[in-house]
Amino acid sequence: MAAAPHRHPDQGDPDVRAAQEARLRQVWQPPRGLFLRWTDTNNNSVGTWYTLTAFGMMLFAGVLALIVRAQLAAPENDLVSASTFNQLFTLHGSIMMFLFAVPMFEAVSILILPQLLGTRDLPFPRLSAFGYWSFLLGGVFVGGSIFFNAAPDGGWFMYPPLTTEPELSGVGADIWMLGLSFIEVSSIAAAIELIVGVLKCRPPGMRLNLMPLYAWYILVVAVMILFAFPPLIAGDVLFELERLLDWPFFDAARGGDPVLWQHLFWIFGHPEVYIIFLPSIAIFAMVVPTFSRRHLIGYPWIVLAAVGTGFLSFGLWVHHMFTTGMPNISLGFFSAASEAVAIPTAVQIFAFIATMWAGRVVWSTPMLYGAGALAVFVVGGLTGVMVAVAPFDWQAHDTYFVVAHLHYVLTGGLLLPLLGGLYYYWPLFTGKKLSDRLGRSAFWLIFVGINVTFFPMHFSGLMGMPRRVFTYSEESGLHGLNLLSTIGAFVIATGIGMIILDMCLSPRRKLAARNPWKAGTLEWLALPRQENWGVRCVPRIESRYPLWDQPGFVASVDEGRYFLPDAEEGKRELMITSVLDAEPVQVARIGGPSVKPMLAAAMLGGVFILTTFHFYGAALLSGVAALAAILWWLWTGSGIVPEKPMKHAGNGVVLPLYASGPASSGWWAMFITMFADATAFGALMFGYFYYWTIHPEFPPKAAAGTNGPGWVWPVIALALVLTGWVLTVAARELNARGRVRFAQGGLVLAAVATAAGAAAGLAGPWFSGLDPTAHVYPAIVWVIAIWIAVHGVVGVIMQLYALARSLWGRTTPTHDIDIRNITLYQHFLAVSAVVGFITIGFFPEWV
Amino acid sequence: MPLVPFARRLTWTLAPFTAGCEGVQSTFSTFGVEAESTRALALIMGIGASLITIAVLLLAAHAVRAPEGQLDHRRGMRLILWLGAVFPTVVLSVLLVVSLPGMRSIASEPHDLRVRVDGEQFWWRMKYEQPGSATVETANELRIPMDRTVAIRLGSPDVIHSFWVPGLAGKVDMIPGRENELVVRATRTGVFRGQCTEFCGLSHALMAFDVIVMESKDFDEWLSAASQPATSNDSTGRRLFEEYGCDGCHIVRGHVQGTPIGPDLTHYGSRRTLGAGTVPLTAEATSRFIRNPAALKPGALMPRFGTMSEADADAIAAYLLELK
Amino acid sequence: MNALRRRVLEYTLTLWSLIVAPTAWAAHFLFSYVYAAVRCAKGGRDSAIGDVRLVVAIATVVALAIVLASAYVAWVHRRVEGDEPPFHDSTDEDRQRFLATSKLLLAGLSFIAIVFTAVPAFTFGDCR
Repeated sequence: MAAAPHRHPDQGDPDVRAAQEARLRQVWQPPRGLFLRWTDTNNNSVGTWYTLTAFGMMLFAGVLALIVRAQLAAPENDLVSASTFNQLFTLHGSIMMFLFAVPMFEAVSILILPQLLGTRDLPFPRLSAFGYWSFLLGGVFVGGSIFFNAAPDGGWFMYPPLTTEPELSGVGADIWMLGLSFIEVSSIAAAIELIVGVLKCRPPGMRLNLMPLYAWYILVVAVMILFAFPPLIAGDVLFELERLLDWPFFDAARGGDPVLWQHLFWIFGHPEVYIIFLPSIAIFAMVVPTFSRRHLIGYPWIVLAAVGTGFLSFGLWVHHMFTTGMPNISLGFFSAASEAVAIPTAVQIFAFIATMWAGRVVWSTPMLYGAGALAVFVVGGLTGVMVAVAPFDWQAHDTYFVVAHLHYVLTGGLLLPLLGGLYYYWPLFTGKKLSDRLGRSAFWLIFVGINVTFFPMHFSGLMGMPRRVFTYSEESGLHGLNLLSTIGAFVIATGIGMIILDMCLSPRRKLAARNPWKAGTLEWLALPRQENWGVRCVPRIESRYPLWDQPGFVASVDEGRYFLPDAEEGKRELMITSVLDAEPVQVARIGGPSVKPMLAAAMLGGVFILTTFHFYGAALLSGVAALAAILWWLWTGSGIVPEKPMKHAGNGVVLPLYASGPASSGWWAMFITMFADATAFGALMFGYFYYWTIHPEFPPKAAAGTNGPGWVWPVIALALVLTGWVLTVAARELNARGRVRFAQGGLVLAAVATAAGAAAGLAGPWFSGLDPTAHVYPAIVWVIAIWIAVHGVVGVIMQLYALARSLWGRTTPTHDIDIRNITLYQHFLAVSAVVGFITIGFFPEWV
Repeated sequence: MPLVPFARRLTWTLAPFTAGCEGVQSTFSTFGVEAESTRALALIMGIGASLITIAVLLLAAHAVRAPEGQLDHRRGMRLILWLGAVFPTVVLSVLLVVSLPGMRSIASEPHDLRVRVDGEQFWWRMKYEQPGSATVETANELRIPMDRTVAIRLGSPDVIHSFWVPGLAGKVDMIPGRENELVVRATRTGVFRGQCTEFCGLSHALMAFDVIVMESKDFDEWLSAASQPATSNDSTGRRLFEEYGCDGCHIVRGHVQGTPIGPDLTHYGSRRTLGAGTVPLTAEATSRFIRNPAALKPGALMPRFGTMSEADADAIAAYLLELK
Repeated sequence: MNALRRRVLEYTLTLWSLIVAPTAWAAHFLFSYVYAAVRCAKGGRDSAIGDVRLVVAIATVVALAIVLASAYVAWVHRRVEGDEPPFHDSTDEDRQRFLATSKLLLAGLSFIAIVFTAVPAFTFGDCR
């Protein structure tokens, strides 16, 4: 039975085009209704909510800073008590770093990346929504704590033992740990989305050498998140186990070490600041060519800078610990790397200068912010090189000099480019330009304010003012400098206020022209009244600046002459292309509005929030509910077998609608998640080896409850987990060869083996009587065993899920993405079991 | 260290510019060997950073004004290579090679003076160790001899603190469970100040200490006086001291056989400040402090003696001030 | 030499091959730091660093060799026939040459960073 021959639509016919647009509008329409509108998952909505929420967090943290500065305006001031002050500065730093800086870059990327890549949405819209709701819930939880006088108050890096001692730190510490761990989950979700988006959702022809630089930066940053956030999550786990269950990870009396927290925190913390900085510079990399009227010079240099900074930033972390008394040779390695990282940073600056030099610079409000950013950032970068030199850092560390440095790099490297981006991209979201007059006045207020606030701090620091002091004495001579800083802070606030005013006046203004800045990159295809479907059709790209270089490009896109100009089957679709050369590979169907991401976020948030207040039973129930919500979401929304195998995607190209294994975005999502998970496990193993390094005797001999787990149970556990792994792989292969019943049987056996392995892993510490409160050795062994056991249980749930999919006919020999993804998980589980069980079973006794 | 003679000359030249930044707790007012060489390094780096900033900004301004096409792609790439990659590499290599040796600490000999300093919430416990004699314990005041190497051992029984005397040397953290060492040598006499520089709780801002550098023989005299037990004729205050249970946390050598939980008060009257550098030492301040320590130092572990009458507190204070 | 060049040219540069040099830096850095840290932790503050210098030297040579190999591969790919830089045409050659340029630059940065890392091992002789 031959299928009817495909008739290529005549894009030249206005009626055909109108019908296509009507279908697209219908399919991409956002949900309406008081509640249902919040179930939207489209990047335009989620990105807008995310951006506004992150901006709101910034304003809140800014107000906290104003109160801090008001207190410090005069010596021996009593505007706020010491206790309140400590909450204020802790929350200011924590909110700025965790609830503004990182979420803002995620928000902006969700909003503009699809448009930059000529696609209609990101590949996992419901994951973005889940990330947003997690962020909102966690953010309100952490930020709102100050209204109950229960905010964390140990500084934004929360050093133990001050913060692990229940007498010295209250529930604020738990709120910090658990609230922020929850938000870190949403950051990892964003990372998955952005990596897959950049690598697989580019328009045909957008080879790697044609990708917008913003996409390169975001790719690097998203990969950095996978390796930077998990060590903090591992640290959070250890920290909370100490606070809630008295497991002595950071208690020196029982073999713990507060410095391990510092390692784990800063292994996260240093890359974190580059995670914050690079996406903002990425905005600048999009702004400079537009207002220099030419292509950016030094595209491979920028790639070098982004990738190089990404790597080198992981070798800097001990420079935050130069004063902890580590051997100078160790410090020397980090001093060297901290200096080396200035090289790729400098490269970018000169790429922008070269571009401006070669082009014809047109002044605009975004460029003004960019120029200010450059000036401020160069100062901050150079003081950064100064503190990279250890002997100088031994004076400057933990003083206002560092406060000056970090605020220069943050205002110059994050705030000013972001505000420039606001003025640049406002027409993209609203169709209107912001006011140049207000924007430029605000700029000068903010720029001058930054310098008046933070430049004096270099001096107050070197004159002996430590960080985090709620007051200083009359005799210290610091009054004048502090007063200056306070005045400057209020000047910045006035500037920000002006920008808010500008944004609020926007609804009253006229629509701007299309592509008001006459830029060359894809996002400026947007019409002043943009439809929710995004781009009219997925274009074919031949240049880095298609709007400048490809003749007739805009008209062709508007007439739908490229790919996916229609939504004939009533589904939301993206073009998936190959990584190197963006050749069309698949048409992927993506999810629409749904309540499930919100539900899952709420239930998962419940786990963290209820645990904070020690409601363990309720937290467990919430966890079960979260699991149910996630399984329901996956069951109804992923691995859907399409109604036909292939589809005409336009221009004569016919593409599959389904992909499995490494060709599919879902497989990559699992792969990327597992890298993050493996890094967290690696951080726990690092903890184990760290304790071995610092103790002459590890495990400690002859103390009660500190000997174990022996080698027998770990070996049994390892054998069982590996059996489960082999059986899962076998099930995948059997299924692919059509032996479905055998595959299902294999999955059952695999689940039994993995579950038994998890139990056996716990049996070792249990039967050897390891008491995790007695010493850090039993505690870390228990943590490793529990980690593998929990991952084993998750693996079992996955195996059973795949079994159910197969039994219900959702997974077949030709459509087997579910079973391929869970097998991928099993590979990582097997590796962690090998590393974990062999270490706790045999090291160091057998070495 | 090779930088020190250059350091002294450079500092002397630039003294007029940095005069406004002097102070007893300032890195610009150096009185120690390490601080001096760091100050020179800081000045050189500061000047270098300023020059580079100005140069980059001038270049950027020129780039903005340059007519279109004055720079082409090839020359642009070379600009990035030479200014963005080669120049920073050269400067940073020099900086690395010059600065790393500056990290080497002063060597300490077995016969050098050893002081053990423990940071506690929110005060400093000092113990002067001399071979062949008993350890002398004081609090909140560090006295060291000029021109002699002193090895300071640093620790903490509670949370992380940091020992910083800006004019003397860089800071070193005091971490529970480990002992860190800072070897210093003071180069002139005077009264200076140090402060805790690792956030340690409510009164972190109020945890400072005096550093008094004395001539070597003056120091030896002081140390031997400090090792003597307390002398005082006041019996009323001393009796009240014991009645209220102050010996539960404090020792007054020769008078009170207490438990050393809190600061040693044997020569309390000779200190300059109360509450670890918070207020000047007077009878009135002492009396108020005894009755309500948390009013002066939030979070202080010393309990409130709310039931103590003002008269009793004044009497105890008078006794303590006699303990010179 | 020609046979080697031909073999190298047959291989397609990918994102993974782009990061060989910085990965070598990362491995060298981690190894040097961990080795020295464990040696000093177990030996005590006043111990000499012993074989740390030799071990770091060997690691440095190995890492630099990998970086130079990566640079060679990049160099060969960059010299493929095509028009002048910038490599911004939508062709296989330009994509290859762009990746090769970036790979070469990363090799340069990694080389410098590896040398920087090695310097402290030769500056300090003990664990203080």
